[in-house]
Amino acid sequence: MKNIKYYVCPSTVKEALAVLLSKKYKAMALAGGTLVSKTLPDTVETYLDLKNLPIKGIRLQGGNLVIGAGATFDEIDRSKLCRSWAGGCVSRAAEACSSQLVRNMATIGGNIARPHSFNIFPVVLLGLDAKVRLQTKKGAQLVDFQDLYSSGLGLRPGLDSLITEIVIPVKTRKWKCEFIKLAKTASSWESYIKLFFSAEKKGKSVIQARVAVGALSPRPFRAPEAEKALLSGAGAEAAAKAFAAELEAARAGEYRSSAASSLFKRFVNSL
Amino acid sequence: MKTGIIETKKGFFEITVAINGEKKELSVKNDESLLDALRRHGWKGTKKGCDTGDCGSCAVLLNGRPVLGCLAPAVTAHEGEITTIEGLGSVRAPHPLQVAFVEAGAVQCGFCIPGMILSSKHLLDRTPNPTEAEIRKALDGNLCRCTGYVKQVEAVKAAAQKLRGKGKRARA
Amino acid sequence: MDAKNLKVVNKPVIKMDALGLACGEPAFTDDVEFKGLLTGKILWSPHAHARIKKIDVSAALKVPGVKAVLTYKDLPRVPHTTAGQGYPEPSPYDSYTLDNKVRFVGDRVAAVAAETPEAAKEALSKIKVEYELLPAVFDTFEAMKDGAPVIHDEEDSKNIPDAKHNIAAKFDFEVKNGEWFKEADFVFEHSWSIPYLQHCAIEPHITIAHFDNTGRLVLRTSTQVPFHVRRIVAQALKIPVKKIRVVKPRIGGGFGSKQEVLLEDITAALALKTGRPVKLEYTRKETFISSRTRHPAVCRMKAGVKKDGTITDAEMEITLNTGAYGSHALTVMMCSGSHTIPMYRVKNNIRFIGRSVYTNLPVAGAYRGYGATQGFFAWECLMDMMAAKIGMDPVEFRKMNYIKLGEGSPVFKAMGEGREGVEQVITSTGLFEAIQKGSDEIKWTEKKLKYAAQSGPIRRGVGVACMMQGSGIPEVDMASATMKMNEDGSFNLLVGAADLGTGSDTILAQIAAEVLGIKTDDIIVTSSDTDITPFDVGAYASSTTFISGGAVKKTAEKVRDMILEVGAKILDQKKEDLRLEDGKVVAKDGASCSLSEVANTSLYYYNQHQITASASHFAHTSPPPFQANFAEVEVDTETGQVKILDYVSCVDCGTAINPQLAEGQNDGAVLNGISHTLSEAMEFSSNGTPLNASFRRYKIFSAADTPPVRTFIIPSWEPAGPFGAKSVSEIGINGPLPAVANAIYNACGVWLFEAPFTPDKVLKAIQKGKNKGL
Repeated sequence: MKNIKYYVCPSTVKEALAVLLSKKYKAMALAGGTLVSKTLPDTVETYLDLKNLPIKGIRLQGGNLVIGAGATFDEIDRSKLCRSWAGGCVSRAAEACSSQLVRNMATIGGNIARPHSFNIFPVVLLGLDAKVRLQTKKGAQLVDFQDLYSSGLGLRPGLDSLITEIVIPVKTRKWKCEFIKLAKTASSWESYIKLFFSAEKKGKSVIQARVAVGALSPRPFRAPEAEKALLSGAGAEAAAKAFAAELEAARAGEYRSSAASSLFKRFVNSL
Repeated sequence: MKTGIIETKKGFFEITVAINGEKKELSVKNDESLLDALRRHGWKGTKKGCDTGDCGSCAVLLNGRPVLGCLAPAVTAHEGEITTIEGLGSVRAPHPLQVAFVEAGAVQCGFCIPGMILSSKHLLDRTPNPTEAEIRKALDGNLCRCTGYVKQVEAVKAAAQKLRGKGKRARA
Repeated sequence: MDAKNLKVVNKPVIKMDALGLACGEPAFTDDVEFKGLLTGKILWSPHAHARIKKIDVSAALKVPGVKAVLTYKDLPRVPHTTAGQGYPEPSPYDSYTLDNKVRFVGDRVAAVAAETPEAAKEALSKIKVEYELLPAVFDTFEAMKDGAPVIHDEEDSKNIPDAKHNIAAKFDFEVKNGEWFKEADFVFEHSWSIPYLQHCAIEPHITIAHFDNTGRLVLRTSTQVPFHVRRIVAQALKIPVKKIRVVKPRIGGGFGSKQEVLLEDITAALALKTGRPVKLEYTRKETFISSRTRHPAVCRMKAGVKKDGTITDAEMEITLNTGAYGSHALTVMMCSGSHTIPMYRVKNNIRFIGRSVYTNLPVAGAYRGYGATQGFFAWECLMDMMAAKIGMDPVEFRKMNYIKLGEGSPVFKAMGEGREGVEQVITSTGLFEAIQKGSDEIKWTEKKLKYAAQSGPIRRGVGVACMMQGSGIPEVDMASATMKMNEDGSFNLLVGAADLGTGSDTILAQIAAEVLGIKTDDIIVTSSDTDITPFDVGAYASSTTFISGGAVKKTAEKVRDMILEVGAKILDQKKEDLRLEDGKVVAKDGASCSLSEVANTSLYYYNQHQITASASHFAHTSPPPFQANFAEVEVDTETGQVKILDYVSCVDCGTAINPQLAEGQNDGAVLNGISHTLSEAMEFSSNGTPLNASFRRYKIFSAADTPPVRTFIIPSWEPAGPFGAKSVSEIGINGPLPAVANAIYNACGVWLFEAPFTPDKVLKAIQKGKNKGL
């Protein structure tokens, strides 16, 4: 931080990327700044402020829900589109962030730029099969959120590339979804576990199921056995048992496994 | 790429900001937070309670929206508009929110109050008739250890009523 | 007597400093500028227990801008206590401004003063310290064993009862009327525990030391105890009291953490060394680690009860963890019994066994509730256990047994604060009405019935707890006030009492205004400045309304007498026929003159003199305020999450001098207690390093987390208090732990013994209960 020499506030993504790629600037992108502004490495010499980039809107495009990377938690929380999409789980995740002041500043792009166990959106985006649009030196790319977040794809968003959009596919629009942050208090920054459950039913059978788990580690993961149990119509008890076993295997510990599987059981019963 | 670049001189950025409606040229340290810059330049109403973005005592309105002054680098306020508690009202001419906080008995030690009032201002700007839940949500980033938030929530309700009654819907 | 005829007291007068604070006026310690101000910083120990073998500051001194680096070698070695208590302090003298030994992670090693914060930080990083690591101990029971590491092995400490076993304070007491538990039909014994809890005042600790134009040292500091600060800094640095002035500006909350000489000694030392003004301000992390905390405690209680509801015997054994130093170690421990055991009549035997034990962890100190929080958690849960066993409603069981008007307790005399207490009986109580009101508000009977038949994973329950506290420390606390009259009939009121956000300036002005028949805004209050205001022990022990209020009332009465004297001359009437009313001296026959005429007459015409008076006050008793608290909770028995649906707190504080401010005091105390109950605990690594020293990770309740908190003031009239007043500020923090624990039991049949009741612990208790077939 002490080596900051430049402040750049571009108005196009192209300009912004050029600053990131330029040797002169040694820039790091600041979106909301809530996560990085106090902990910039000394190698960074330029604040690249993204506030004027046209990457903020929340809109429907080709039936997909497209959230600009610069959309704040507050905007996502209040967006009618987000509130009506997939049972409003994206809005609920935004709302679960600890404080209004952070929600006013922090952006969804910033929240997925680097894996942390306290990030809020990853578990939901994983569950919703989201894609991420990035601007890299090779041009614009659309990648699976899961791939970007789990492996990084050789990219370091904010340092050598920019996340510009999050695309949530049209198929998820009517999904029944639930986002749960199990924490000491509603506004706790840290949580025991973050859960994303989703299912779609046709007649009596479940034709789509998603169970995703966050907060146990920096990267959220899907719970395939729980999903399988759900799809096979195994019933709430059996599905919860399968989920508990998966959580135990992921070293979630007794409490998290027990509480999360109970919550899953309730979700299955509510279908 | 010619727009929006400033370079430090001897470790300082020279920025232009409108603070409480007055245009100012400020020197801010290259790594200084907006909170530290404001306090160093005399706006002492903005408080430092944690410096980690968790207590909200440092909240100011940046372009109408409450932000955490301790987390915002000062330079990012360049060409922006800032409202601090001093800009909202004064002892001679207080803002209805300030009066409401006083009348409700919502000010105990008072250290969190500037930030809390600015958060309330933003709430009432966009939600003139908030529910209790909306008030609590809007204030959830402003920690207070004195009051239990009881009278602060009452104060915001009272101010909302007063502002609506006057037909003076507060502007952003 | 009651408050009916009062004109200013018992009215919701606007808090006099509120508008300035709401407008961001520069009122706090750090809100004024000092030319040439240096930044002070402290180097903290990274080790839990170590001796400093070598310390080399030469590189630090070479950092540009560094003006001073202090180590133990540079300062007089004076054993003292940091506890801001009356002299001689009952806490052990076991602290040194700087020492050659460190006793916890976060203990002082060295201090620097530099032109900029950056230079100060760099200097800290360049101090070379060679430590001899010593074995550390973190558990109180381990620390008391033979052969445990001795934390205070220095020879010059004073008043440590058993340094070899790390016992910083101990007190035992017994009333014996026959064989223990002989009459009891049922005997219960359990232990309840409370972790490290932080005050979390939003303003971090801060001191600015500067010099006046005669070279005297001025300490502008965020403190609850300006006069104790002056005395203890003089003692620790070996400078005369007359060379020090302590100024208390507005304070951003204290809750006990600022009843401590925490920064003033070292900031003064840096200023004296450099001859420059120095500011030392804690970061939030430092506030968590290196200020003070509540004493973690294990409280074992054993009690016996007869089937008819008579409590036969009660024994409390409390073990407090005082951390590395014994600040408030004896007094908090004694208050954990003296403020709690007398709550209920015990027919035969009472025993109290108290220990405060050193460990290599952060230092505990005064914290709102002051031991009663720890004691009532145990006592009030035990009450519910007994009620359940004998099949009595917990409310009825309490009504039967609580201490009534005119009753005393052997505990009052046996246990004071650090010494013998005083005999007293209850001279005012509104507890019965408080219990009734609370039962009605929470709908106790209706809900008990309704919740008796529940199924499904989400269960609701209601719980009750009653509490008492004190009003000042009898025959220890003393306060004084000075008033003087101005030409326009206004008055200056100078008080040593330290308003730390409580509103004491306002309520003291109300008391004076009531006596003088004027409005509160005709009184200009100054608090507190050791050069200007008379002595007061400070803001602690729930003393300000009762003790300082008593001093102000006496002072105003003296002033009233002087006014009447002059008024009699002006009106040519007998003094006895005059009274003060609406800013005038009024005679029986209706003749009157204004107070400004009185002032002008006294200053310029008749027997020229300043109408002014001072008075002091101390008390022989400490009348307890009482409370009944009721909680309604919802427990998710599959996730362990506890949600408080409603919280009702009915408080008898005698006459509320300012009902609005009294409610605010109680709302805040209750929420602090609720936050303790469901969320707060400091965590440590196995080597004693604090793990969650931030608001992000040590979670205090936000507005969104907060349940409905409803305070009701239940009036009573305390004959010993000013206009019938008792204390209000601390008591409310003691209720939530037991009230919520009892409500959880009512909801799902399990007891919780360990605070906080986090979802993981609650679920574990529920599952354990299920295994037992509950």
